[in-house]
Order: sequence, then structure tokens, then C-alpha cells
Amino acid sequence: MTPIQTDIVVLGAGPGGYAAAFYAADLGKKVILVEQEKRLGGVCLNRGCIPSKALLHASKMVHEAEISAQRGIEFGSPKIHLDKLRAWKESILEKLGQGIATLASKRGVEVMLGRGYFEDSQTLRVETTEGQKFVKFSKAIIAVGSKPALPKAFDLGNKRIMTSTEALELEEIPKSLLIVGGGYIGMELGTVYAALGSEVVLVEAMGSILAGADPDLARPVMRYAEKNFKEVRLNAKVSKMATSGKNIKVNMEFGDKCVEEHYDRVLVSVGRTPNCYDLGLKNTKVERDDKGFIKVNSKQQTADPNIYAIGDVAGGLLLAHKASKEARIAVQVIVGEHAEFKDILIPAVVFTDPEVAWCGLTEADAKSKNIPVKVVRFAWAASGRALSTDKTDGLTKLIIDPDTERILGVGLVGSGAGELISEGVLAIEMGATALDLASAVHPHPTLSETLMEAAEVFYGHSTHTLSAKK
Amino acid sequence: MDIRIPNLGEGAESGSVVSLFVKEGDKVAKDQTILELENEKAVAPIPSTHSGTVKKVYVKVGDKVSVGQAILSLEESGGSLTSQNIPQEILSQPAQVQRPVKSIPGIPPPASPSVRKVAGELGVDLMQVRGSEAGGRIVMADIRAYIASLKSASASERIDSEHSRSIDFSKWGPVKKTALSSLRQKIGQKMTESWTTIPHVTQFDEANITELMTLRKKVGAAYEKKGARLTLTHFVMKAVVAALKKYPQFNSSLDEGSQELVTKEYFHIGIAVDTDSGLIVPVVRDADKKSLLDLAKELDALAEKTRQRKVSLDELKGGTFTISNLGGIGGTFFTPIVNKPEVAILGVGRGVLKPVIIKNKTKEKVEVRLMLPLGLSYDHRVIDGADGARFICAIVETLENFDPKLVKL
Repeated sequence: MTPIQTDIVVLGAGPGGYAAAFYAADLGKKVILVEQEKRLGGVCLNRGCIPSKALLHASKMVHEAEISAQRGIEFGSPKIHLDKLRAWKESILEKLGQGIATLASKRGVEVMLGRGYFEDSQTLRVETTEGQKFVKFSKAIIAVGSKPALPKAFDLGNKRIMTSTEALELEEIPKSLLIVGGGYIGMELGTVYAALGSEVVLVEAMGSILAGADPDLARPVMRYAEKNFKEVRLNAKVSKMATSGKNIKVNMEFGDKCVEEHYDRVLVSVGRTPNCYDLGLKNTKVERDDKGFIKVNSKQQTADPNIYAIGDVAGGLLLAHKASKEARIAVQVIVGEHAEFKDILIPAVVFTDPEVAWCGLTEADAKSKNIPVKVVRFAWAASGRALSTDKTDGLTKLIIDPDTERILGVGLVGSGAGELISEGVLAIEMGATALDLASAVHPHPTLSETLMEAAEVFYGHSTHTLSAKK
Repeated sequence: MDIRIPNLGEGAESGSVVSLFVKEGDKVAKDQTILELENEKAVAPIPSTHSGTVKKVYVKVGDKVSVGQAILSLEESGGSLTSQNIPQEILSQPAQVQRPVKSIPGIPPPASPSVRKVAGELGVDLMQVRGSEAGGRIVMADIRAYIASLKSASASERIDSEHSRSIDFSKWGPVKKTALSSLRQKIGQKMTESWTTIPHVTQFDEANITELMTLRKKVGAAYEKKGARLTLTHFVMKAVVAALKKYPQFNSSLDEGSQELVTKEYFHIGIAVDTDSGLIVPVVRDADKKSLLDLAKELDALAEKTRQRKVSLDELKGGTFTISNLGGIGGTFFTPIVNKPEVAILGVGRGVLKPVIIKNKTKEKVEVRLMLPLGLSYDHRVIDGADGARFICAIVETLENFDPKLVKL
């Protein structure tokens, strides 16, 4: 069988892979995009960012309707039609997946559906429905992503023990749901299921939820969880799970207690593992680290000169926007431009209620690295926009270098924090000072004013808050 | 607020901390000495510009520090930082392209993504670039300036690199290695800079100082009674001042930035002094207003202080013309290097008795005269050859017909 020749083959059509394929095609390369699933878009579109945000939006409506009563508008208790909700979510994914396929074909990117396997450093074998195909490539970009980790002890083959993948399928609304892991996935899905009516118990092994976020940013999320979940247990550890009829029996240690409880379902959200097994990497020079992630340098190059890796499979922050950035870098390097993943800010957003977002240096980072900084905060209770939309549980903070007044970090918690953080990213990427941020006029009344006012706090003259003189 | 290394004078941009008198938590008064800095020329006490409590000390003994660098941070007891209480020297410091404003470990230098991309393409390490905008932000112009500074440095570096290759001289016999003192290094830098940036011309002449030396002998004892040893250098100083007054372009500096000639209306004469550690040039102020006796006394004291390296930085600054008299050691003509930013220097050799043909109306005869070899080096960008000749003739003229009134006590 004659192999198909191509400049670049991209393995995996998630936000890293399709971004790489499209960009390479835009730069005039012949590109084949290999994906084993029917619908393009990867975890992000099918089992991650997009479905979770759709469900979070729906559950936000439940919550909004609830608190609307105190503003004088009552909706009564919500009736949830799970089939409809699932279908609506599914329609979004279908629309986006179609969109990616259209964009690919308009660019002349050949999409090859099937499993990819490296025969050697120049050949990828693809198992398509029409049989095996061989792709001879000059360069390959591996973008096969990651999947939720399910520790062996919890892997009972019982569908009542879910990862985020199954939880987003929304098969049913369990009466009681145990969530293991208080990271952003656990917190987001906990918010969804709690709004849909589940009694959620969340356990976290560490002393706080949302590891990586500064404690003052995580606190409003904790407050929400304490109010809307049945319970949040910190420093707690699940020691055992077992099938018990239609339930899952869970043994757990927290405080000095050991308890045995029964849950309808369990969601395990304790991290993710790379998808790079059974790719034929042993036939190439690609190397992996001890956690299984593919080792790359700052140019996204693996140990094999023909093969690049981007996104989750290359380790680091497992975020779609990081994958898309790496896609650009890999393609630029392949076409001979100067590009490097260096000093690039990757913002983090948690779409809980309220949202949490941060970028650059965190306060905790500054402390642990002994970087002297000045932290200024603007509480949303002083924002007219926050008050008029009933979203006062929020905080905007800036981490500033006291000498140069340069903004080193931005942290936000509150409604729409995920949208607001981009201004922080731009400020830091551009090397802006607090004065720059304070001097730029922000429209009133908006939540974006909180960034400007926080910068004014640095100088001791914020309009809407009293601050100690600098 | 931060207390910084003040401007230490021309050619003295850095030094090493030899002693540190304060620690964190100490209270310091304004003008209190906080550390001593050994630079190329002297050990200088650095005073605090403010009073307050020491919050943090940024330097330790042995550190090499530069002008403008923060020494310690002070919590002020009163008042706040305004431009009025920042020493003028710091405000007037030109931006040094090579030194970044501040680097924070783990935090990239402040520059927009597009600037970083260009820097990456050009292979410029942004950590080395000084940003000109608020917070030290680096913009495209800063990268251009940095590259320009690299280019101008690269010429001298090329010379350096040829010499910097270590040769193992012990292959041919025993050797002894001595580290260059910072004074030696500084002299090297200054000489290289002067020699490579100033187009030099050296004009020679001889002065008949037979009568001058007779005059000196006559008054020498009287001067010694007043505690001064009158030497040729003092006469040369007077002769130089007279010539400078006649030809003021020799008493100037060339401002290369603004392309202006700055002519000074004061006459501060630098005298090259041979010390154990190397050449140092202290400056006698207002040499035109001082009597020979005062000049003799002052120069003697200044030279002694210089040899003991106790001369203050102020006493090394502000010269308008330099005299290097090697006559005490020997040798005849030599070609001194202009002491930048001055534009001329006079090298004086040892006076020797010579047969000189004297032409008197119709008769020619040979006489024995004490002839002083002189070499005047000057910056040909500022001074033309004709003026160089005029200037040295004026000096010779003064020395040969020295006004006895000037010698009177």
C-alpha cells in the first residue's frame, strides 16, 4: 500500500491539535489531522471545558431563580428535564464539533478518523474504518491529551464510580454524590450536581480546596460550597470503596474519625494522566518522564527530531489555552520561525460560583520564593456593578513590585472573573505598572473598574474604598 | 527609601566596599558615614543622604558596587521621598543601557510579547537590557540602544580578546603572577579610552631654563624658610596658566553628545603623581589666583596625600589641564596621553645641559644652556597644529623670560 505523503501530521484534534493543524495549513503546509473520535475537539469540546460550562450555566440559572425571590420575583421550584438538558448540551457540542470539521475542510486539512500508531520516526499507521493507512510525514505533532486518573483502588468497574467524563454525560441526578478531590473539576461538577438537586459531599486530602489559588480567592468558593453542598471535608482521605447493592460503600478518614457511608454515586477527580500509551512511541526516539508525560524542550521538540508534542500530553498545566499556545510555537518552530515557550503567562480560571481566576505571580508564590511584593485588594462589596447584580462576594487583587510598581500578578474571585482576568494577562504581558492600570479609564458601572480601583489602592487614593496612605 | 552610591567623580563609576558601618535596625543620621568604598583612586567614605532606620542592607564587604546602586533602604524618620531630596548626581545619571533596572528571580523582564519576540530573534538577552519606560519596561528603542552599545563595545572587545588568551609563560622560565589592582585596571581603561577616541598630536619644543634655574637658586632658601620647596613644576604651572589664558581652547572640553566646546573660565591644573600603586592625578584649583609660594605649599601637601592614597575624590575632579613632569626621574621627550575630558597635556622631561648655537647679529657662538624638553599632546579635534605650536611657544617664552616679580615673596 502506498503511503500518503504529508508535511505535517497532527495526532489528536483537541484544542492543541486542531489549532496546530489549522495554523500549519494557513502557513501553506500540507497537513493531515488524525483523530480517533468521530467528533473533533478533543476532551475540551467533548468531555471537558465546553460541556461543563454548559451545565454550569444551566445550574447557575437554578441558583439565580432561587435567589431572585428576595428581589421580588419568584419562579417557583425548578423542574429539571434531564433528557432535554442533556440534548441541549449535546447540541452545543455537535455545533462546535461541526464547526471545527468545516474549518478543517475549508483550509484543506485532511481529517483522518482512526487510531494513530507510530511505525517509526517518519511513519504513522492509522486504523481507519476503511482499513489501515500509512502516513509518511516530515514532522509530526503529538497532541493526544490526557484522561481523568482513576486510582486502581477505586476502579471497581462500577459505573456509579464516575470520573469527569461520565459525570458530564449526566446519566442521572443521584440523590447523594460523593466527590473525591477539591480541585477545579471537583468544585465545578459539585456546583452542577448540587444545583440539580444532589446532596453533595466533597472530600479533599489537602487543607484547602482549589490548590494553586490564593486562599483569599478560594474563600468565597468555599463559602458557596459550605452553603450549597451537604458538606465539605478537608484533610480527609477515602481509604476504600466497595459496591454495595445500588450504592457505593465508602470508608473515609477525616479528623480523628473513620466513617463508613453509602452514596448513590461517586465522582473521582484526583488528577489526569497522559494518553500516550499504545501510540508506538517505542518505535521513535520520543522520551517520557516518570509520570508518563512526553518530554519536550521549550520549542515543543521531543527527543525525536521529527516529532513535537503539545498540550496535556507534554505535561505542565493541563489547560486548553496552554495547548493552543504550544500549538502555535510548535508550528512556528517547524516552519523555521523563532518561537519558544518562555515567559508566557497562562491564566487559570475556575468556573465555580463565584468564578476564580488568576495569572502571573500569586501571593503564595511570592511568599514561598521570597519575592517582596505589595498586595492590594479591592472588595467587590464597594462596586456598584457588583451590588446591582447581586454579586458582591468578590475580590480583585494585584500583586505589585513595590520598587518598579510593575504588576506581577492578578487574582480575581467573583462573577465573570474568567472574563476579567484577560485584562490582567495583557497588563502583565505588556509589563504594565499599577499607574498604567489606574490611569486607563474603565467604563462605569462595570466589574472591570475593580481592576482600576485596586491599582488606585496601591497609591492610596481609590475612589470607592478607604485605604491607608501609601 | 533607598540610599544609593553617589556620583564619585569622572572615571570612578564603581568601587569595592571595604568597610560597612551600619547594619539592619541601626539608626543613621544624615551625612553619617555608612560605608567606605575603595575605588581606583582612593578610599572614600560614603555618607547617608538621609536620616532614619536601616531597613535592609543590600551590600556586604567585598562587593563591587556602581554609581546609582542601592546600598541600603532606610525607613525615614520624617519627610518623604521627593525629587528635591534625591541627590542631583543621581537624577542626572544617564541611563546605562547595559544594566537592567531591577531583576526579580523567576519573573521575566518587563517587555511586551512583540518586543520579546524581536529580542528572541536577535538573540538579545532582555535581562541585560535597561528598560526606559515606567517600571523598567523595555521597548523597541531600548533594544536598539542596547545593540548600539554592544557594537561600540565590540571593537575594543576584539582587541581584548586577542590579548585575553592566556599564555603559559612558565614554559620558558619561572614567573610570578599578580592580580591587577583596581587602580591599574582603571588606568588601563582610561588610557585606552583616551587613546582610542582622541586623535592625538604631540608637539615638541625645548625651553632654555638656565636663567630660570638661577632665579630659583636665588630665592630657594627664602622659600624654604616659609616651608616650601620651590621646584620647576611650579614654574611650569605658572607658564601653563599664562598660555591657557592666551589660548583658551586648551582649557576646554569637547561635549561629544551636544557637539559643543565647553571652555572653562577657571584654571584647575592636574599634576600627575607617581604612587606605589600607580598614576594618580590630583588637581590644584585656581592655579591662576595663587602665588608661587601657595602653589608650592599646596602641591607638596597634595602630592604627599596622594602618595598615601588619602586624597579625597573631590581633589581628583575638575581638572582643566594636566602636567606630567618626569624630569625628576630622567628621560627627555615623551608623548603623554591626553587626560580625557581635558583636551591637552604637557609632558616635561629632564633638563640637560646642551651646546646651543647663539646667533647674535652677525656672530654665531656656541654656549652651554640648560634645555628643558617639552612634549605637548592635544586633541586634534579641538586644536589645530598651528595653535599647538603657538601654545608650546608661549610656554617656552614664559619659562625663558620668567617675570621675577612673580617669584617675590
